[in-house]
Amino acid sequence: MKAAGQLSRGKWYSFRLKATPYTFLTPYFCLVCVFFIYPFINAIILAFYQTNGPKSKIFVGLGNFAFVLTDPDFHTALKNTTVYAVFSIFLQLPLSLSLALLLNAGKDKLKGFFRLVIFSPNLVGQIFVGVLFTVLFVPRYGLFNRFIHSLFYWGLENQWLQNPDLVMPAIILASLWIYVGFNMIYFLAGLQAVDKSLVEAAKIDGAGPFRVFWNVTVPAIKPVATFVVVMSTIGSYQLFELPYALLQNQGGFGPANAGMTIVGYLYNNAFNSGDLGLGAAIGWILALIIFTISIAQIRISGTLREGT
Amino acid sequence: MEYPYGRAPFWILLIMLTAGLVVLITQSGAGSKRPDLVLVTFAKNHYAAYQKVVPEFEKIHNVRVQLQLVQERALTNRLQAALLAGSEVPDLVEIMNPNLGTFIRGPLEDVGFVDLTDRIKAEKLDERMVASRFSLWSSRGRIFALPHDVHPIAMAYRRDIIEELGVDVSKIETWDDFIEMGRKITKDLDGDGIPDRYALDLNSDGNTMLPLLLRQRGSGLFDEEGHVLTDSELAVDIIIWYVHQLHGENRIAFSAGWGQPLSRAMLDGLVLFYFTPDWRTKFFEMDVPQLKGKLALMPMPAWEKGGCHTSSWGGTGLTITKASKNQELAWELAKFLYLNKEDLGERFALLNIIPPLKEAWDLEEFKTPDPFFSNQPVGTIYAELAPQTPPEYINAYTNVTASKFREAYLNCVTYYRKNGDKGLREYARKEVKRTANYVRRVIARNKFLNPDAPGPESRQVGTNERLEN
Repeated sequence: MKAAGQLSRGKWYSFRLKATPYTFLTPYFCLVCVFFIYPFINAIILAFYQTNGPKSKIFVGLGNFAFVLTDPDFHTALKNTTVYAVFSIFLQLPLSLSLALLLNAGKDKLKGFFRLVIFSPNLVGQIFVGVLFTVLFVPRYGLFNRFIHSLFYWGLENQWLQNPDLVMPAIILASLWIYVGFNMIYFLAGLQAVDKSLVEAAKIDGAGPFRVFWNVTVPAIKPVATFVVVMSTIGSYQLFELPYALLQNQGGFGPANAGMTIVGYLYNNAFNSGDLGLGAAIGWILALIIFTISIAQIRISGTLREGT
Repeated sequence: MEYPYGRAPFWILLIMLTAGLVVLITQSGAGSKRPDLVLVTFAKNHYAAYQKVVPEFEKIHNVRVQLQLVQERALTNRLQAALLAGSEVPDLVEIMNPNLGTFIRGPLEDVGFVDLTDRIKAEKLDERMVASRFSLWSSRGRIFALPHDVHPIAMAYRRDIIEELGVDVSKIETWDDFIEMGRKITKDLDGDGIPDRYALDLNSDGNTMLPLLLRQRGSGLFDEEGHVLTDSELAVDIIIWYVHQLHGENRIAFSAGWGQPLSRAMLDGLVLFYFTPDWRTKFFEMDVPQLKGKLALMPMPAWEKGGCHTSSWGGTGLTITKASKNQELAWELAKFLYLNKEDLGERFALLNIIPPLKEAWDLEEFKTPDPFFSNQPVGTIYAELAPQTPPEYINAYTNVTASKFREAYLNCVTYYRKNGDKGLREYARKEVKRTANYVRRVIARNKFLNPDAPGPESRQVGTNERLEN
């Protein structure tokens, strides 16, 4: 009896030992199931239905995808988002890198202060920035037009948020203010990790500042740069709050949908119109776009290649 | 006794259980304390006005009413989500035009609001109130809200400057008269090549003002049956007119915007005439108190002699949710708030909003001279315009239609900047046709309203089974 009891206690102990990690993982797994796996599967199914809220739905097969891909508004949203993403990379990131280089170069005690100042717009969020820039962009009385007019004697009545040609530049300008500082922090971290002995060696070999930057610094910060480029691209394709707040008085996403992004298009269709099925289809198309571009960027940069 | 997985997991478990228990207790407590009626509004001034009169209703009916103020966009989004998901909603909700559209996309049975048509007809409210205002709250012939207001539009103008310029506004009857006057007074005063005084405030993206001018001419985005009207010849005329007023050498209009820039433009006399629905008069009083006695009101110029001198801008309606357990009591509250003549007089004095109940217009408060508007009787001016207020038909596609109409207009602006008037009309026709057809395509896709819409064979689930039965 005693031996049997010992055996049973031994089995219980061994079961407890095996079960412990799973018990700890259970809450996480439950949350993932409820908030990720279920919605994920449901979103796949939903994309094949036309819905009027979550209760009423009609099977439409690939109808939602066909509609989105042939919808001129989606093309506009895709174009706007891509333009924004391209400017994010080719305008925002060089500016961030330049600021990071400036802050990294000096030994000034005010470096920390400037770092905080440049980074701080990111703390207030896109909605606040959107509201702030609606005031700055006001024709005739707004700071931007006053500044431009004082420099060039032109542009006092520029309708930044009412003229379709100026809406995207306005969004890009506002986003520069938020994100330049944010990306600068990443670059700064990358620059501070550059091996100083390599820089010294290059200098001793007679390399000038540009050569040092190009042949030593750039390769050293390449993984950080790739990370920033990929994250900026993903963030750009997910842009929503900024144009939403900036253009709230201009009938949604600005004149002629000039500020409509893919997520804005998704929001309009899923939540303003109540067709969650169409929203799910747009979400999948967006996910595919982001996935493809991110993979392409990583492959082109070669960051994940063995030995890099 | 020790917890087998150690102290930390024990405390985590204990905190979880305590938190769960607290939520359970507070939720069950909240349920038992729920008032008999919950009314939610998005308008601060409505909320303040109802706070004054609701205690009387509570006393008469021996019930408890809770008023809530929720930001307009948040209210629409949360209400839509709650109605669609079947979770708890208020008994009465004030919604803003054209937000009803977002709730009527599906079959009528799926609309989350009580159909008030029979109640309204039984009490002859369709005769006692301005009939055109029910158009904002109707879908497929059924009425889902009680209209709170009429919102006829007059023109507010800087009386002091206009008189100084020698303009007699009583002689302005049509828009042609107005433009003739506008061209005289729109001026570059400091010689820098940019006008410093404009006659008219027109928003440059066409939002709000383009559709209101369309309504004034007897058209709109849709007709009563929901057919898209934005590719009519009338719509083309309005677009060309609008382009000419805002662009080119003969322009008389400037987009003064909203909020502080608008106040600045009013104070500086940058723009002299403003489209002013009744609600906006109160905003002007609050935003530019310095202009007290310097502003005055006049009817909108008509498109032709003897034509309509007003249009409409905005609107609020009171809905009763189907989920309400006290629908009859909710209807009583709706009538108490919207039809009580004495309260309406007081409320007009507070808000300057003309109620759609015609019998209220002869109250003393409506005839009182308003010192802010040069002692004009604001109530009487709007009450005289109210019966002419054109209907505004809405549906689930109002926003997309308005947006596409604006798109057509903005493309015409671009065309005009490049080519002037040459070929503008043909281009405008092509644009309005293209954008209207887009809207028609989107509407036709709705399988809830058009079961024959193209696509794979429908398999309907949930409430839509009713469509086939």
